[in-house]
Amino acid sequence: MIGVRTAAGLMLLALGIGLRAAIAAPIDDAAEQYRPYMIEGIGQALAGARDLRERIAVHDLAGAKKAWISARAGWERSEVFTAGFVPELDAEIDAWPNAVSGFHAVEAKLFGAGSTDALADVDELVRHLDSLHGKLYGMTLSPQGLLDGTVRLAYEVGEGKADGGESRISGTSLDDMRNNVAGIGFAYRTIFGPALGAADTRLAEAVDARIRQLEVIVAAPDLPHVDIPALRRASEELVVTLQSASAKLGLQRPTLEANLK
Amino acid sequence: MIVRRAWIGALALGVLVAGLHERAAAFPVDGDQTTLPPKTELNEDALDKPREVFHSELAGGKSYMINLGDLAFNSPGVLGGVARQAGVSCGTCHVNGAGNAKLFMPKMSTRPGNFDTTGPLFNPKADNQVLDPVRIPSLRGARYLAPYGFDGRMPSLRDFVHNVIVNEFAGPEPSPGTLDAIVAYIQDIDFLPNPSLGPGGRLVGKINESERRGEALFMKPFPHDPSLSCAGCHTPSGVFSDHLQHDIGSGGLFKTPTLRNADFNAPYFHDGRFDSYDQVVAHFDRVFDLGLSTQDQRDLVAYLTAVGDGTQPYEHDGASATLKEINGFTAVLGAAIPAGDKDIVALAVDTIGNELRELTEQYPDHKNTSVTGGEQQRVMARSALKDLVLTLRRIDMAVADGRTADAAADYKNYRYLMAAAVPALLAGAQPWSLFNPAVHDSHYAALRQVMQSRHMSH
Repeated sequence: MIGVRTAAGLMLLALGIGLRAAIAAPIDDAAEQYRPYMIEGIGQALAGARDLRERIAVHDLAGAKKAWISARAGWERSEVFTAGFVPELDAEIDAWPNAVSGFHAVEAKLFGAGSTDALADVDELVRHLDSLHGKLYGMTLSPQGLLDGTVRLAYEVGEGKADGGESRISGTSLDDMRNNVAGIGFAYRTIFGPALGAADTRLAEAVDARIRQLEVIVAAPDLPHVDIPALRRASEELVVTLQSASAKLGLQRPTLEANLK
Repeated sequence: MIVRRAWIGALALGVLVAGLHERAAAFPVDGDQTTLPPKTELNEDALDKPREVFHSELAGGKSYMINLGDLAFNSPGVLGGVARQAGVSCGTCHVNGAGNAKLFMPKMSTRPGNFDTTGPLFNPKADNQVLDPVRIPSLRGARYLAPYGFDGRMPSLRDFVHNVIVNEFAGPEPSPGTLDAIVAYIQDIDFLPNPSLGPGGRLVGKINESERRGEALFMKPFPHDPSLSCAGCHTPSGVFSDHLQHDIGSGGLFKTPTLRNADFNAPYFHDGRFDSYDQVVAHFDRVFDLGLSTQDQRDLVAYLTAVGDGTQPYEHDGASATLKEINGFTAVLGAAIPAGDKDIVALAVDTIGNELRELTEQYPDHKNTSVTGGEQQRVMARSALKDLVLTLRRIDMAVADGRTADAAADYKNYRYLMAAAVPALLAGAQPWSLFNPAVHDSHYAALRQVMQSRHMSH
């Protein structure tokens, strides 16, 4: 059998990853327009986590659950950039399944055990989200990194979470999916849509159509009514279309995993 | 089938399905609504899966029809409706052509290993309002075992398969070609070889005294009706079945099941009421007043165990086994792409893509707390598998657009990667994958703990 290094080289060669197109598009400025959205999304997660801490302090379980869900919504729509730009904090905040910190550790206590005995965990969550929030103002935002993140999240959405997903204890996995799709849509339309529309109208329309398709699928009333095969197909078609679009945008074809060296 | 994992069940259905041999399938969304019955295991607990032996592999390899049938057998889309939504395929119950003693669906099963084919879940029109599940049978040697159904009501395997799809599961009418392919696949599944069985079904080789005495008892006429004997119905010179229906005091007329490979076919009887040969033998002793001594019963059990054995009944469910199955499915594309057969290409891409996505989950990502180390290897394995999924999707999109040449180029690329690069990357990540028993146990222990925290709070 060939070595791992050789195998990885063959993959890159065969898939044409790393070949940057000659045509560049002016999207660096557009990436900057995405920053306020990032700050707002993590800001919502942070505000929710702080509210969660207050609810827990007074043993208000119902209020704490509500605050957790609000914090989670801000986090999920930010997943376009978290894994690629802040992988360490991403792993701390969203560790799973046997999490000792982060959202899922708190989720298990609130929604699983029905306990508000989670102050230390929530303190840690607030600390990490606060740290992330502070980084967002000065972070360099590369269009390539944001396209990579958009594509990875689009692929992940296709996993469907029909098994209950990550947030299976709180039962909010469908909300996770909706917020993921919202995050994808916003990132694409803010950063890449105008440039792609100018470079290749048909391709831009194809991307738009797939995002709208995802939005319709996750608008189902509950998880059992999500058409999982259709979701998977739309997700993969979106990724394939965005990969085709990368050349038109003057970017490399996105890789499917963050931290691929 | 490869399959798969399933954290239990069709969550999507709001029910709990345990024992789905699919890596992804399910956990109850409302896990607090249901508890697993005793003896039910999460399928993820099993790293072994039944070994599948194909008749055609002895004759040089599987045909297009058999590969297509295998693919369709493992495609939830073939069963349509609720099953498609829940990711349930023929292969969910008949794992690699064997039964699935762990499958349990609330409202459809009374114990692991049985399933109500006239229940409310998949086709309300077929619901007979009675919870009357039947044992999930093994399909090994099915070509020798007509008529079909627990009561032998259907002489034709093709008619039986059609009935399962259209009536039991309310699936779409299958094309004649798909139906023929599924039948070809089922008919290609052989019994596992049993070196202890000689000519005429007699035990040969190193047979112990208890087995020998059991064989004699098996042939001996029943004391109160000399026209009957065990061997009279379970004909050793055939496949240990006379293909007829009999009333053996279990509530009706039921077809004589084969005893070949039956060691791996528990639970027993038409409704799966018995866990062991001991219980089966005790039933016959009681109903037919056989007057068996304790030793006689032991000897009969020893004999049944020797007859029902098979070589290497299980194989390790590793990446190479999964890739082998996927490659069989992929061979279908080799014919369907040049033919521009959109439906078959779509079926293959959806099914293989699903398998590849499930295989990806065997290599935990950076957020998974169950494993440390090998992060770069895991990333490369996951990335390679995702690239394959997308290559397949490009093929599907190209064939749908009539761009057959583009699809053929992508298919060539896919085959090239599957030949060497992907197996090497998966092997490199194996120590940190769920195929490693230590990582596997740690991961599922964590998942169980998470789910139990929910159960405990309600």
